[in-house]
Amino acid sequence: MKVLRLSLILLGCAASAWLLDAQAPSGGSAKGGPAPAVDFSGYWTGNMQEDGAERGAGPELVDYGGIPINEAGRLWALSYDTSRLTSRFHQCDGYVAPYSVRAIGNTLVWEERDPKLRTLIAIHWYSQTFEGHRVFWMDDRPHPPAYASHSYMGFSTGTFVGNALRVETTHLKQGWFRRNGLPESDQATLTEFFVRHGDHITYTSVVNDPVFLSEPWIRTTDFYRQPTDPGAWLFPCDDSEQIVGRAPDQVPNYLFGAHPYLDEYSKKNQVPLIGALGGPDTLYREFESKLASVSDAKARELTRPAPGPSATSVAVDPDPHDGEIHVLPIRNNVYMLVGDGGNIVVQTGDEGAFVVDTGAGKLTSKVLAEIRRLSTKPIRYIANTSFHADYTGGNQVLKNAGSDPSVVGTFLALNSPGVGATATIMAHENVAARMTGSLGNNQPTPSDSWPIDTYLADRHRQFHNGDSIEMFYMPHASTDGDSIVQFRRADIIVAGDIFNTTQYPFIDVANGGSVQGEISALNAILDRTVFEHSGEGGTLVVPGRGYLCDEHEVVEYRDMVAIVRDRVKALIASGASLEQVLAAKVTTDYDKRYGANSGPWTTRMFVTAVYQSLKQPPGK
Amino acid sequence: MRVAKSSSGMILLALASVLHAQPPAAGPGGGRGGPGRAGPAAALFDPTGYWVAQITEDWKERIHPAAKGDVGSIPVSAAGRREAAAWDPASSNSCKAYGVGGILRMPGRLHINWEGNNLKIESDAGAQTRVLSFGTPSGQAGGLQGVSVASWDHLAPALTGFTLRGRGGGGGGSLKVVTTQASPGYLARNGVPYGAKATFTEYYDRQEVPGGPALLVVSVEVTDPDYLNGPYWYSVHFKKQADAAGWNPQPCDAR
Repeated sequence: MKVLRLSLILLGCAASAWLLDAQAPSGGSAKGGPAPAVDFSGYWTGNMQEDGAERGAGPELVDYGGIPINEAGRLWALSYDTSRLTSRFHQCDGYVAPYSVRAIGNTLVWEERDPKLRTLIAIHWYSQTFEGHRVFWMDDRPHPPAYASHSYMGFSTGTFVGNALRVETTHLKQGWFRRNGLPESDQATLTEFFVRHGDHITYTSVVNDPVFLSEPWIRTTDFYRQPTDPGAWLFPCDDSEQIVGRAPDQVPNYLFGAHPYLDEYSKKNQVPLIGALGGPDTLYREFESKLASVSDAKARELTRPAPGPSATSVAVDPDPHDGEIHVLPIRNNVYMLVGDGGNIVVQTGDEGAFVVDTGAGKLTSKVLAEIRRLSTKPIRYIANTSFHADYTGGNQVLKNAGSDPSVVGTFLALNSPGVGATATIMAHENVAARMTGSLGNNQPTPSDSWPIDTYLADRHRQFHNGDSIEMFYMPHASTDGDSIVQFRRADIIVAGDIFNTTQYPFIDVANGGSVQGEISALNAILDRTVFEHSGEGGTLVVPGRGYLCDEHEVVEYRDMVAIVRDRVKALIASGASLEQVLAAKVTTDYDKRYGANSGPWTTRMFVTAVYQSLKQPPGK
Repeated sequence: MRVAKSSSGMILLALASVLHAQPPAAGPGGGRGGPGRAGPAAALFDPTGYWVAQITEDWKERIHPAAKGDVGSIPVSAAGRREAAAWDPASSNSCKAYGVGGILRMPGRLHINWEGNNLKIESDAGAQTRVLSFGTPSGQAGGLQGVSVASWDHLAPALTGFTLRGRGGGGGGSLKVVTTQASPGYLARNGVPYGAKATFTEYYDRQEVPGGPALLVVSVEVTDPDYLNGPYWYSVHFKKQADAAGWNPQPCDAR
């Protein structure tokens, strides 16, 4: 009887195991769930027996062979002066995931499991260098929307396929593929395969970067297991002044064709320059004949923009353009609303909603519905960062939907009947002046869209819903009336038209904008940010258009504007006309990220604005 | 007493599951199908076709011979350095650079096919042919490419941990190849040497890239008591081609 019972139990157990096994997804793929395909937990060290010098001590300058960079990638890298690392905003730059996994150092891997169900939630991959903490989500969660923030490590999801862990990563920050300035854009995505061969991992990475690469860049490398904790995991970084006296708008860079160490690596290593300059053909055997046939003089042509039309942006548009308003919680009780032109920011609380900018006005009823969902309290204040229609289009509706009970029943109300029946719109005085038509040549907007609470000095402030909210005037940036808005306790800055992730800055020269004011305004944002770790996180920055940022995106954008300014300035100094400046294609390395040849703000318009505002600075 | 019974049940459940988690027994050829299955039928993935090498690592050393004495990141011993320093650049196309220790790092293409139950790897660089034998080596004469024994390396149960679903990931595995008895050659085109006692252990994996061609990734461990200080690991990758485009066998210099 005992034997029979044991047999039945065994039979039942075996059947259970088979049944459970039968439920596993077919096709060699088991996603998350209770069945980890391979356990990668433990300490691992990257094997440096390939590209050891580059990954360890560091690459030499202008060593791009074997990397499928396009013209933009090459020119960006050639304009990179390594002294840029001495800028306080670059000193703590972290490694982006496509670089981090191949960087020198140890890695700790652990699994995160549901404490009750034991399902695999995530695999953590923690690199020693820069404390690069990657999380491979294994629980089928979707990737965030395009308007969500980016990070050095990006957002990763994993799947077991056959004997491999396959990881897909999006939402990466701009960084480098190599420490000699070879850029990786924030549009890059990464596919990786991790395969264990005993105490060894074979790692394959496939980087797609439509901005700086001509084709996917595939690399493989190896890790070996460490039996004990190698220690030394922390990597703190604190920036400081390294070049005392450098002006804040100076970004070290080389002009096109002027890299002072162009052929240093090439000569030292007997590599023809055409090979050192990289590109997709350098990956293949057929390139051997080119190495022998292309002279260095001919190769130098690759160090300047090629003639022809400018490239246009290949970046993903963060705006879903689906006729809906999308709400992204930022921090505390502050939200970003996306979908109606410029980004809208809403702070909620017992004292009523504080709204920064009101969008283009095409979907204002939906904007209002979303604000109502976030708060039952009235809209009390509206702050406009700019007079541009993308930021004030919803003023009228939102103002009239709101109210300001703080002034009802006050002496102010006695003198101005009806005051407090609507929200109060605040802005710099020049915003009001341009909307009313009293300044410039713009058509007046409806009177109840005008700001009534304006300021002329540097700063306007309001304590609301427990936060200190400040508006700072940014003279002659995009226009002559721009403000940035800072929520001090939430640690959020709303940048308005001064900063975006979708196009070159809209420098509206006709309305008082200038490239120098734009750079100063971007630096003013950076004066108010504090990063959390390795140059990311901490103070969050809402761009006028595009995805939620932190200081890193502002720094890269500031660098871009300053570098383009330097190129135009140098051409002006050499006596170039506007047409000659335009023909010089001074934005070639940025056009696939920000360029446009049609629409309301083209590359040509941007370069023209830079030229004009340098030739004739506002106020002079 | 109920507790004791319940514990027994759990132990048995675990036992049954662990037993179930073992991989199928490999056949004589190391295949997944067990006895009687060999050749393509036993393969864990399809390695056949034309594959083009992508030179994205150690580019300087691989795309053309690096400077004399430049051993890159290879853990070469003092004897190996001496040998590399004696290399004659005039022999840069020497067939010694196209032996088993160097052929996978050469720019070029591979053509992989089944030949009976063996895999044949042809390389247009140096016009070389390797034969990977499953089980007892046959048809291999040693020489530059040595004698290669292949097996399908199933996902090891020890790596999967305890799981009620048995083999994680639905199986899969690598092609493992161990090569010995190769005549001395070069690990790099500039004469970084390996000796006759070198052993080459290779793991071949095929990765399907969403929206792109498949990849053949080969991870190699070289041990060589003559010229290396320790194991030398490298990994190379090839992109699947739809056809033989670019296939251009170029013999090496047999001098």
